[in-house]
Formats: sequence, C-alpha cells, structure tokens
Amino acid sequence: MIRFEAVSQTHSCGTQALKNISLTIPAGQVCVLLGPSGAGKSSLLRCVNGLNQPTAGKVFVGDIEITPRNLKTIRPNIGMIHQAFNLTTRATVAANVIAGALPAVPTLPALFNLFPREHQAKVCELLDRVGLSEAHLTRRVSELSGGQQQRVGIARAFMLDPAIILADEPVASLDPAVSEDILALLVREARARGATVLCSLHQLDLARQFADRIVALKSGELVFDGPPADLTPDACARIYQTPGIPALQPEPA
Amino acid sequence: MKPLIPPPVAAETWRYPKPYGLKTLILSLMAMFVLWQTAVRVELPKAVALTAEAVGSVFGSGAESQVAKGFATVAGQLFPLEMSERVEVSRIENFDRENLPAFSYIEHETTEVETLNPDTLEVEAATETTEILVKPYGYLMTVGVKMLETLEIALWGTILAVILGLPLALLGASNLAPNRWVQGLSRSVVSLLRAVPELISALFLVLAYGFGPMAGILALALHAAGFFGKFYADDIEAADPKPQEALRAIGAGCLKVFRHAILPMVWPNYIASTLYILDRNVRMATVIGLVGAGGIGQELKGRYDMYDYGHVGTILVAIFVLVLILEQISVRLRKHYL
Repeated sequence: MIRFEAVSQTHSCGTQALKNISLTIPAGQVCVLLGPSGAGKSSLLRCVNGLNQPTAGKVFVGDIEITPRNLKTIRPNIGMIHQAFNLTTRATVAANVIAGALPAVPTLPALFNLFPREHQAKVCELLDRVGLSEAHLTRRVSELSGGQQQRVGIARAFMLDPAIILADEPVASLDPAVSEDILALLVREARARGATVLCSLHQLDLARQFADRIVALKSGELVFDGPPADLTPDACARIYQTPGIPALQPEPA
Repeated sequence: MKPLIPPPVAAETWRYPKPYGLKTLILSLMAMFVLWQTAVRVELPKAVALTAEAVGSVFGSGAESQVAKGFATVAGQLFPLEMSERVEVSRIENFDRENLPAFSYIEHETTEVETLNPDTLEVEAATETTEILVKPYGYLMTVGVKMLETLEIALWGTILAVILGLPLALLGASNLAPNRWVQGLSRSVVSLLRAVPELISALFLVLAYGFGPMAGILALALHAAGFFGKFYADDIEAADPKPQEALRAIGAGCLKVFRHAILPMVWPNYIASTLYILDRNVRMATVIGLVGAGGIGQELKGRYDMYDYGHVGTILVAIFVLVLILEQISVRLRKHYL
C-alpha cells in the first residue's frame, strides 16, 4: 500500500511540482498516472522511494512513513523501472539483472562481483520469464534493442520480489507493439507477486487496457481519479488541454 | 492559388547572431600582444634565429654556427657507442682461464713504464703487460639489468599509485563523496601530490630511504597517485548518472554503486589513463635515477660524471628503444580493450 498525505513539492527554482496531493493506493492495485509533460507524475513517483523529498506532507509505504533515515531499509522493497532503462550499458545482461539484488548482498562480496547461488538462479529464472534466452546472459546491454533493454530493466526490478513497483514512463521510447508487450509483462509479473504498481504513462489506450485505476495530474494537481471506464473523451480533454492556448491548426492548403 | 509555403518574413526581419564580435577581436589582439612580450622575454626569436643559422650551415651557406658545432661535439663524444666491458684479470677473484664467459676473450695491454732504479739511480724504461678480460657485449648486459630495474620501478610505482589514488578518487568525486568537507580534503591532497614533481620528492626520499629503487618507487607512486586521484574522480563525475540512480533507488550503497554502475562505464577511460601513467612512469623512472633513486638513471649519472660518453650514448639509445617498444605495447593494449 502507498499513501500520500497532503504531499507538496516545490523545486529550488520555485516551481511547484506537486500541490497538496492526497492519495491511497491499496496493495496489489495497478495504478496508472496520466498527465501532460511537467504535470508532476515523475515527482510523485519519486517521492515513494525518496529520490525526491517532498517539501510538505507525508508518504507512507505500508504503515511506515518515508524519512531520510529509513530510506536504506525501505528502498529494497520498492522496485523501479525507468524511462531511459537506466542500465549499465557496458556491462552484461547478467551483471545488470543481478545488480538488482545488491541491497541483499554484503558489500565485500558485492565488490568482487560474488553473488550467492540462489541469486544467480533467480537471474536465469527472471530472464526466462521476461522472454530473453540463456545466450543473452553474456551479451552487453548496449547490443540489445530498446524493448529487450526494458525487459532487462523489469527483470532487475523484480530481483528482490518488491512489494511495490514504480514505473516512470516505462514505454515512452518504445514502439506501440513493443510497448504493449512490455506493459503486459510488467503487469503479469506484478500480479503474480501481488505487488502494487504505480506507473506513469502517456498512452491513453495502454492506460485503459492495463490499469485497475487511473489517476491524472495537471500542473501538480489531482484532476482525475477513477476506474479506466470513467476516462471519457471529455475527461481526457480536461487532463491534456491547456486553457487559453488553442490547438495547432494545420496550415490551409 | 495561394503559395504552398508562406512568403518569408522571419528570414528578412530576424537577425542571425554574428559568429565574432568586436570584443572577440580586441581580446585576441591583446592575447597576441601578451604572448609576443613573453616570447621576447624567453629569447624565443633568438632561438629561432640560431636554429635557422644551424640549418643554413649544415646545408652549406658557409656561415659559422655555434649550435651546429655544439651538436657535432655531442655526437662525436656519444658515438661510437660503448658496448663492451673491460676488466683487469688481476682484479677478478678465482679467475678461471679455462672457462671464460661466453664471447669473451683476453687482451694483452702493454704500457711503457719509466721507473727509477734505486741502485744505479737511473731512469729505466720497461714494458709492463696487463691482461684484460674483454666481454664484447658485457656493458649491454649491465644496461639490460638496469633497464629491467627501471621497468620494475615504473610498474610498482604505478601499482602503488592505483592503490593510493583510487580511494582518493572515490572520496573526491562529487557524486560519491560522503560530504563536501571530505571531498574538498581529498581533492586538496590529490592536488598537493600532483604539485610535487617526482624529481623533487625523490631527492628527499633518497635521504630518508637511502640510494636505490625504494625511493624511486615511492616518488613515482606519490606523484602518480595525484594524477589517478584526479583522472579517476573526473571520470566518475562524468559517468552516465542513470544507472547510478537506478541502483541508489533500490538502496545500494556508494561502494556498490561504484562497482556496478560506474566502474563498468568508466573502465575504458581507466585503462587509458593507467596506461598513460605507466608510460609516463617508465620515462620518469629513467630520470629520477639521476638523484640516486635507482634504475638506469643512476647508471647514466655515474657514467656521465666519469666522462664515459660512449656508455652514456648506449644508455640513451637503450632508453629510446625501450620507450618505443612500450609505446607499441600500449597501442596494442588500447586497441584490445577500448
């Protein structure tokens, strides 16, 4: 479960990214965040694992409030999938996935790249589940396609079986068919473990297809919260249109 | 029918920024003026004139050139290169006439000696014969052994520098340092190490550790650690932050982030800068021997002080060959790893 209590965030430059957001996402729910660029989707996501510190309000994971002090113990329970995949591109697929288990390994063996056998087995298991083969283990990440890289990212995120998965526009740089595959994979793996998913997206169709619940932000404010069925064209217009600026018209021929 | 592309408005009314302005012109003129002043102060125009004169005299302009003469003197003394080693047989303990070392032979040297006969009180001329063992390539062996020592000094100087420089780099990189004070302290230590040249620290280390390779290794290691502390830290700061964020987000500590998100990304740079420092250390190891810190430099200094310029020539050619070989090796390593 994730609970936001009156969360606000102001960047050091003075722009208010989040304005008094209160929201509860029950355990096991797949919640999709919508909203135009700069609406505060990433800021909200990153408050959950402390990559952002909210300037006001509280964030709870389960019953525990996120503070700078307990970050280190809470973070291993929160997996994260990134828009730019954030993989160590010069390292192998195996090295990248097993790095997802780093918080559970003592520092000294980790420095010598020594991981317990059960973690090695888990890497193989996960890579098989996300649709990669044994031959991929020793390939460099930079040699893989975007879709394959995000599969590696998903495998890494599930290494420690986290209770929460944060996905920050996981398919923003992928083509539509691959995007659907990747999201299906992400939701399937999360549901198999009963993990809570908070995922920001730009594709309305994908949001409708995979979400249990859709939350929309606009200029840091909550403007929509409901099941996918409630996301009418009218609601979409409210989320994405900026008042006062007309849509770009095609030039008359 | 209306034109498909609207008439140009922006192209006529907007002004594209100029690449250079008056300020750039004035600044470059000032810079040129300052540079000319310093060139005159360090006698650069005179150096150019002397060099031109020397080139002219070589190609037969007839003019007398002090520079060309100087070079000719140096070359005359360095060549022919001295490769043999000559030892008087009487100075060798347990000399075995039947089993001479490979390639060596015995030469007889006769010298006219005038002695005063105590009985007749007359000066008598006599010939004295000394046996000399000549090893035709003996000095090459000596140079080879010293070269090996030079290489060992450079190698260990580099290894110790990595061991010392890497922790300093981790503490001095803004994205890994625990706080700004530690970072500042580490960066200052690194600057200090880099600010003291090997030759200077070797002078003092020789006083502390005595003549020999120990002082050389430490002098090289301290200076090179200053380089590694800077190069490695700069690479860490310039590394792609995205994988680091991914590992921080799941709660991995600084060392783990370095090992798994930074090191794989900066590895080619680390190889390149380590090879560069190794290359530099080999060259510096030949120099610091001049102050007694072991290696070929110590041999060079000794021979130079005894006016054995033929030997000096051999050493210089050997150093040149060594640097050439190392350059080839490092080019190959770079091709393989980058």
